Amino acid sequence: MVSELSETAGNLQIWRVDVSTQTVIRQPVPESWAILGGRGLIARILLDEVLPTCEPLGEFNKLLFCPGLLVGHMLTSCDRISIGGKSPLTGGVKEANAGGTTGLEMTSLGIKALIIENLPSQAGWWVLHLSSAGGRFIPADELVGLGVYDSANKLRERYGRKAAIALIGPAGEMKLSAAGIQNLDKDGVPSRIAARGGLGAVMGSKGLKAIVFDATGCSKPPIAHPQAFKDAQKRYTKATLEHPQSIVYRDFGTAAIVRMSDSFGALPARNFSSGHFEAVEQISGETMRQTILDRGGEGEPTHACMPGCVIRCSNVYVNADGKPIVAPLEYETIGLMGSNLGIGDLDVIARLNWEANDLGLDSIDTGAALGVAAEARLMAFGDGARALQLLAEVRQGTPLGRILGSGAAMTGKVFGIMRVPVTKGQAMASYEPRAVKGTGVTYATSPQGADHTAGLTIRDKVNHLDPAGQAALSRTKQINMAGYDTLGACIFAGFGFSLVPDVIATLLNARYDWSVGTDILQVLGKEALKLEREFNRRAGFTPAQDRLPEYMTKEQLPPLNPVFDVPAEDLDNVFNW
Amino acid sequence: MNITIFLHTTLQRHTPNNTVGKLAIDLPSGSTLANLLKRLEIELDVENTLLVVNGRTAELSQPLSDGDQVHLIPAISGGMAVMEA
Repeated sequence: MVSELSETAGNLQIWRVDVSTQTVIRQPVPESWAILGGRGLIARILLDEVLPTCEPLGEFNKLLFCPGLLVGHMLTSCDRISIGGKSPLTGGVKEANAGGTTGLEMTSLGIKALIIENLPSQAGWWVLHLSSAGGRFIPADELVGLGVYDSANKLRERYGRKAAIALIGPAGEMKLSAAGIQNLDKDGVPSRIAARGGLGAVMGSKGLKAIVFDATGCSKPPIAHPQAFKDAQKRYTKATLEHPQSIVYRDFGTAAIVRMSDSFGALPARNFSSGHFEAVEQISGETMRQTILDRGGEGEPTHACMPGCVIRCSNVYVNADGKPIVAPLEYETIGLMGSNLGIGDLDVIARLNWEANDLGLDSIDTGAALGVAAEARLMAFGDGARALQLLAEVRQGTPLGRILGSGAAMTGKVFGIMRVPVTKGQAMASYEPRAVKGTGVTYATSPQGADHTAGLTIRDKVNHLDPAGQAALSRTKQINMAGYDTLGACIFAGFGFSLVPDVIATLLNARYDWSVGTDILQVLGKEALKLEREFNRRAGFTPAQDRLPEYMTKEQLPPLNPVFDVPAEDLDNVFNW
Repeated sequence: MNITIFLHTTLQRHTPNNTVGKLAIDLPSGSTLANLLKRLEIELDVENTLLVVNGRTAELSQPLSDGDQVHLIPAISGGMAVMEA
């Protein structure tokens, strides 16, 4: 049913969707929301409109899609979409962002924020179709139970190959807490996942299998000062191309981090029982690149997920016949579904990655859950075939499958395992916190739970094993990253921005006719964190949740044998600036 | 002293076939990391390289011992240190 809608006049608006009445209305952007985007805007809307004590899968939670402030103009590596809500996994604020085309299409449609409210008034699954004509709900019966890849193919056949699509897989339909929301990359492959914290389950609770963003006939939002924007864009693109790290990511992807992490004794192996994996050379970025090149065919060691990105850190990983197994194959999955499971074979890891993608599951929490399952003797470490069987149980919706698809914390609880690598209920990423203590501080204190993109510290020239100074380092990173997440910038956009730091303010002022200062990244980051912390406080969080699991403070991690010993007072001071 | 050096990602391009990731080198006792880098005929942008000895971040002046494992990791993160809060 098409709703009555007003002219957009080229400016951004709030699009509000009520799934109980299946109506879509457009509203002006409130003053206090205009200065924010992405992660900061999600925190603002949650605090303004969502009861912090609400049931995450209930009627009072809202599912939010907010492009970042710089999104919409194909600035390299700056078109990310932030998706948010109250997390069914952590019970707190959640923002998960992804590359792909959703951000760009949304801003061309003129959407500042998409707010999805209430619960469906009848059973069933729907596709929400958004275009310049407004929004309509289309029954999605033929997609129910289908994996993400098949669903995306059918949706693209029906709605065209240019639309952006956000969709859930069987895991989201089952409302499992490790379910994410997949987005199409620029080639139409549905593998750019907003993975962390169970937002796929929230989308499932709203009865939505997919959201189609069709910006046909629309154009990019207007820029207030186009020449100034263009000049700043040129400087930023040049800086990004010139930064030495861009080349490493272009050629090796995030998999470049495998050997680096292992060199610090920080690559999680066998359910985080060691920071070194003996088969590290078989699963390294260097090996991955060489394998792709040797196999040829459709393999690509260099690949852009967003149109216009000059870094191109993504890849297409192929089998011995040159046919794609999965795209991309990333560091986190190589860690959590590889070394963490004692699996030293990229082909096996790629297969597991594809299954997680098709189910619409976060590969980090799923890999961590399988690691806990291995410790519970549900599988042997190293048994890739058995890991695939366990993922098949998720697809079938068996009780065991549902447990695993609910993430590592749930799996540990049900099977009586103490060594569960989670904080605030969310699984840690592929950096062992005992060996990279600054990142451990981020895991412990981030309002997002154990989240590596919230504040990674491994590349800093510090002694990662010394507890002193790690809280201050994490603070700086968390502020900067919350800022980038509010801009819609990829973590790697930081390379370019670091060489021309004034460019962020210049771009924003040119785009919106603002006069923000060169500290705007930190201003936005601090605001986002402040809002998130307040939401969590009202949701019932206390400093007790800003801690790592007890066993990590007591048990030494081979090979360097540290424990996590950053003092509690340091953890409690991270947000005092 | 026997030192093992692990070359990461783009540094491997300075070796035969662009793929050598591990080298063994013999150095006089008392050598430092700086001495080692000089011995390697590899052009290194020290500013943008992580120097890791036996799992710990190291300075150029660090003295080496027999059996040490040295990792040379090109390119640091986006200079986030520049953006001080």
